[in-house]
Amino acid sequence: MTLNPLLSFVSQVGQRSLQSVREVGYHAALLAEAFYWLLFGHWRRQPVRLGAVFKEAVGVGVNAIPIVALASFATGMMLAIQGIYTLRTFGAEGQVVLGIALSVTREFAPLITGIFVAGRSGSAIAARIGTMQISQEIDALRVIGINPVRYLVAPLLAAMLLTLPALTILSSLVALFGGALYCAGELSLPIDIFFARTFEVLVADDVIHGVLKSFIFAVIVTLIGAGNGFNVSAGAEGVGQATTRAVVLGCIGIILADMVFTFLTSR
Amino acid sequence: MNSTDLAIDVSHLVTHYGSRKILDDISFQARQGEIMVIMGGSGSGKSTLLRHLLGLHQPTSGSIRLLGKDITQLSADEMYDLRKNMGVAFQGGALFNSMTVGENVELPLREHTRLDENTMRIMSRMKLEVVNLAGFENLMPSELSGGMIKRAALARAIVMDPRLLFFDEPSAGLDPVVSAELDELILILRDAMNMTIVVVTHELESAFKIADRITVLDQGRILMSDTVAAVRASTNERIQSLLNRTPRNEAINPDEYMERLTREIF
Amino acid sequence: MDIQIEDRPPYKVVRLSGDVDLHSSPRAREAILDCLKQKAPLLVDLSAVSYMDSSGVSSLVEGYQTAKKQGLEFALVAVAQSAMNVLKLARLDKVFPIHASLDERMAQQR
Ligand SMILES: Nc1ncnc2c1ncn2[C@@H]1O[C@H](COP(=O)(O)OP(=O)(O)OP(=O)(O)O)[C@@H](O)[C@H]1O
Ligand SMILES: [Mg+2]
Repeated sequence: MTLNPLLSFVSQVGQRSLQSVREVGYHAALLAEAFYWLLFGHWRRQPVRLGAVFKEAVGVGVNAIPIVALASFATGMMLAIQGIYTLRTFGAEGQVVLGIALSVTREFAPLITGIFVAGRSGSAIAARIGTMQISQEIDALRVIGINPVRYLVAPLLAAMLLTLPALTILSSLVALFGGALYCAGELSLPIDIFFARTFEVLVADDVIHGVLKSFIFAVIVTLIGAGNGFNVSAGAEGVGQATTRAVVLGCIGIILADMVFTFLTSR
Repeated sequence: MNSTDLAIDVSHLVTHYGSRKILDDISFQARQGEIMVIMGGSGSGKSTLLRHLLGLHQPTSGSIRLLGKDITQLSADEMYDLRKNMGVAFQGGALFNSMTVGENVELPLREHTRLDENTMRIMSRMKLEVVNLAGFENLMPSELSGGMIKRAALARAIVMDPRLLFFDEPSAGLDPVVSAELDELILILRDAMNMTIVVVTHELESAFKIADRITVLDQGRILMSDTVAAVRASTNERIQSLLNRTPRNEAINPDEYMERLTREIF
Repeated sequence: MDIQIEDRPPYKVVRLSGDVDLHSSPRAREAILDCLKQKAPLLVDLSAVSYMDSSGVSSLVEGYQTAKKQGLEFALVAVAQSAMNVLKLARLDKVFPIHASLDERMAQQR
């Protein structure tokens, strides 16, 4: 290679960013199309079926309850341990409730839920659609006249948008419970008092903040999972790569979106 | 040929994958009720041609008329309506793995019609009878053999009684008896329903048995598109080598050959 | 597609004509099942059918089975060639009682 290494680096960066832009554009189009079918499918006599939405909701939402609950409980407890330990140096451990309440509802609950759903379902979506792509099932859908986005992505998106906020609220409650349990032991703070104080400090805005994020995460997980699945072109290896990419990009996408959203709304 | 009874009319089709030209100036016709077999060596562009006929890709140029409609120009809704008259059996079957065989066969009916539940059930079972898969409707595709998958895919392809049927490699990977049965079935379907059937195949024997006309592709171009007799009688060297299964025996240019082997080394 | 229903005691005769396809076959099905609800033996006249697809055949199958359950006669008469081909495809030509004409059936009746 006679190419100047710097030049080659720059050109690679250029190509990478071009590809990223293309990918973002692709996912935006996918999102628009999925929403189109959700809103207008009925009118075009190609509706998104409620049964399919329900089935997906069980898969991505209901079945995720145990793992999300466990992770949330542990996180709540961890926050309490860490909070009391830190605040004790100021002699302000009584303030721990405020810290837990805010960070759980605004940050941790949506984040934990998002990450776990990305791990569980993002990969599953990519694997399912990727496998259908290489076995020509996607082509079969198209020649039957079934739009694959309408049939595969739209119900998933609806299910995610319905279940992620619910999971997030559940996650908040369980995390708060974990925190409350630890405070009950460590600070002899009765659990009902913990919750009473929590609901004193929380305003609607905090809850809305968490739920809004979960909508964004729902979109990210669905699109990245489905997009990577549709783009599989070669064999089982391609499916494997797509699932890995779906999880990694899904998690990164969630964390970055979280950062941007928090930055924009918390100033 | 009267243009109104042409079920398929492809003219001057040119297609690319990326910047690589795959099909070059392809033109051929098939009448309603005709069985057209597309043949050609590996990599000659048969599957690519089929994918364009199915409207899965947009060609670079040229037109593809199916049942009188140019699918390169149709709106999504018009294409949706046309697809009710098209059935496709993919090479690997492409059955939906999450559904039973019966649900697979019923799916086009559920999507396109508002028939009574009983009617759809009976229709799909009738088609499973036709392909000799009676009683298998509750199995999952993963529980079927290769030949059974092909037949189930055929049942799904014909469940709407389409006027156009596309069949990719019906005999690939099947034992001679099963593939002969499939050939028989293709003929019966044409006779009973007057379907126009496009079959992509490698199998000479099967091609000669079922075809009314044969289109021979070679490196993205049409060598010939004519009756079985005419193809058999052709004096074209490439066609003869395809028919006689003689290996390609091209003259070797020593310099070019060496250059290919050593390119980027010296 | 047109449907005519005629009383030829003891039979009811459903005469289908034109195209019996995905759009029209639900009406044919309804007519057949309605007649059977009245407990009348049924003849379906297919002489004027120009095209019949498998949704039409499916309606006949359902009629046949419904009649059989009620112990009623169900038969096809004067099956047009186009319809016959579709019946043959699913080997149903060997299953349905088929009569060459309505008069023939009525003559046997006496
Ligand atoms: N998805 C694709 N992307 C890029 N090139 C492709 C793609 N699919 C096929 N090709 C190229 O197009 C050409 C024709 O391939 P095609 O699959 O149509 O051949 P074929 O006649 O069906 O061969 P076979 O009998 O082996 O299936 C080949 O050179 C192949 O490399
Ligand atoms: Mg091929």
